[in-house]
Amino acid sequence: MNAIETHDLTRYYHSLCAVDHLSLSINNEIFGLLGPNGSGKTTTVLMLTTLLHPTEGTASVCGYDIAREGEKVRRQLSYVPQEMAVDIKMTGRENVLFFAHLYGIPRAKDKTDEVLAVMELTDRADDLIRTYSGGMLRRLELAQALVHDPAVLFLDEPTIGLDVAARKKIWEHIGALRKSGMTIFVTTHYMDEADLYCDRVGIISKGKVVALGQPSALKSELMTDIITAKVSGPVSIPTREGIFLVGQAADEITFTAENGREALPYLAQALSANGAIVHSLSLREPTLDDVFLHAVGNQDEPRNFDDHQFRTMLRRRK
Amino acid sequence: MSSIWYYMERDMIKWLRGRVAVISLLIMPAAWLIFVGLALPVTFTGNYLDFITPGILVMTMLASSMAGGTLLIFDKILGFLNKFLALPSPRESILFGKILFITIRGVIQSTIILVVATLIGATILSLAQYGMIYLILVLFGLVISGIATTVALYVEDHDSYAAFNTLITMPLFFTSSALMPYSVMPPWLRAIASVNPLSFAIDAIRSVESGMVPFIQVGILAILCVVVLAVCMQVFRKMTV
Ligand SMILES: Nc1ncnc2c1ncn2[C@@H]1O[C@H](COP(=O)(O)OP(=O)(O)O)[C@@H](O)[C@H]1O
Ligand SMILES: [Mg+2]
Repeated sequence: MNAIETHDLTRYYHSLCAVDHLSLSINNEIFGLLGPNGSGKTTTVLMLTTLLHPTEGTASVCGYDIAREGEKVRRQLSYVPQEMAVDIKMTGRENVLFFAHLYGIPRAKDKTDEVLAVMELTDRADDLIRTYSGGMLRRLELAQALVHDPAVLFLDEPTIGLDVAARKKIWEHIGALRKSGMTIFVTTHYMDEADLYCDRVGIISKGKVVALGQPSALKSELMTDIITAKVSGPVSIPTREGIFLVGQAADEITFTAENGREALPYLAQALSANGAIVHSLSLREPTLDDVFLHAVGNQDEPRNFDDHQFRTMLRRRK
Repeated sequence: MSSIWYYMERDMIKWLRGRVAVISLLIMPAAWLIFVGLALPVTFTGNYLDFITPGILVMTMLASSMAGGTLLIFDKILGFLNKFLALPSPRESILFGKILFITIRGVIQSTIILVVATLIGATILSLAQYGMIYLILVLFGLVISGIATTVALYVEDHDSYAAFNTLITMPLFFTSSALMPYSVMPPWLRAIASVNPLSFAIDAIRSVESGMVPFIQVGILAILCVVVLAVCMQVFRKMTV
């Protein structure tokens, strides 16, 4: 039995299709649902946490149906919403103890101390939380979610609005929870974070999953490297099988290549042979951003990989 | 069911820590009592303070219960409601926790009014009479706060709710039997006042003051209370699937 199972999960807001036939199986991993704002991430989380009815399709959490067995589903999960909701007139400890009581935890006080310690909030536990930083507030919300040892943890944009150090810390905590056996469903629109910390990602655009898999696998499936050349002087673009021009802006030319390492010396030689001076060449591997842009291209154009479209996309990002 | 208690406790802690809100909520009704009860030159009754106190009590319960709806609106807007709804504890306890807090707060205010009224010259009643007054106030408070929180579920923003609140509270008060007895009202006002739900509770308390036991009024209030709470629970369940 998978921790989360969805089958054609769909949600309309009037005529707008926010989530479109989503089918996922998630178990024992950090699963990242990635997508730009408005792509349907929050709507998906709301359905899986029994806060919103699906228009169509089914889903289960730990084997319990989200539509028919709401209370059993809620026993298995914890949910940290996108907007922070913590009581600023109460202390950190009071905020967590309140949730421990609501969950009916037997030794609420001890459990509260324990999760506050895990989230590194013990020192400040008795301060009113209006004095907390953004990162501390997020960790406090995690502490609230952890008091009942959920099997599945839903985090909606947990790092939004935090500084780099605070984000890293949140992700480290998420990683530690994963090691303790929890299944974590996290949404984000930061592709780089998902790349670093998620076991598997689903990229969603306009409510549809357009790419699904391990970040490394998704990137290598693109089978391209991205090369940027800084040049001056008369430039004529070399052509060769496996190398595509992506864009040219002032003195910067961008190519994609099926095999970047082999393309580099060829490009250096071909460019200077035509009279240009090559100042630098850089090679980078594709990122999840590229995967996303590629996949979105596929979605609009259901044929296979369309180079032209991919190039337009890459150019637009510049 | 213990979650009802914890939801109430949360609102109570938050309320008690907002010092200005506490002071204003406690001073306002006392100020009303002093200005209206002592300052108005009234001839139609012997002790106007005794006459006006039930009106102020019920008015305070009404205003406090109506203002309670705001609490739910903020929980909804700020995302607390969604967090609570995702918990395994029974969802209705969110609603009943609110109603319980609002009613307790109203009882605290009523107590202040009764104390102030006695200090400035209202007749002291027997314990049984005070008991009955509290019973009437609690039943009335439950009815109003049930309605207020349910309306709050439907309202999208705080401003609309504030408008709804003003629209209900003030006219209800001025067309009730709070300020003057039916005998001195112009006929049109008497007609409105006699069907005004505020008058119903006020008249019940006045009966208690005059030594009667208003079984019928209390009975009706109790039945109304059960019906309203049952309806509220159904609406809440429907709204939060
Ligand atoms: N309550 C709602 N009523 C109508 N449309 C909504 C509502 N909530 C979200 N939407 C729309 O559904 C789409 C998906 O929203 P959302 O799930 O919040 O996206 P994300 O979390 O990925 O930013 C958006 O186009 C948004 O405008
Ligand atoms: Mg969102």
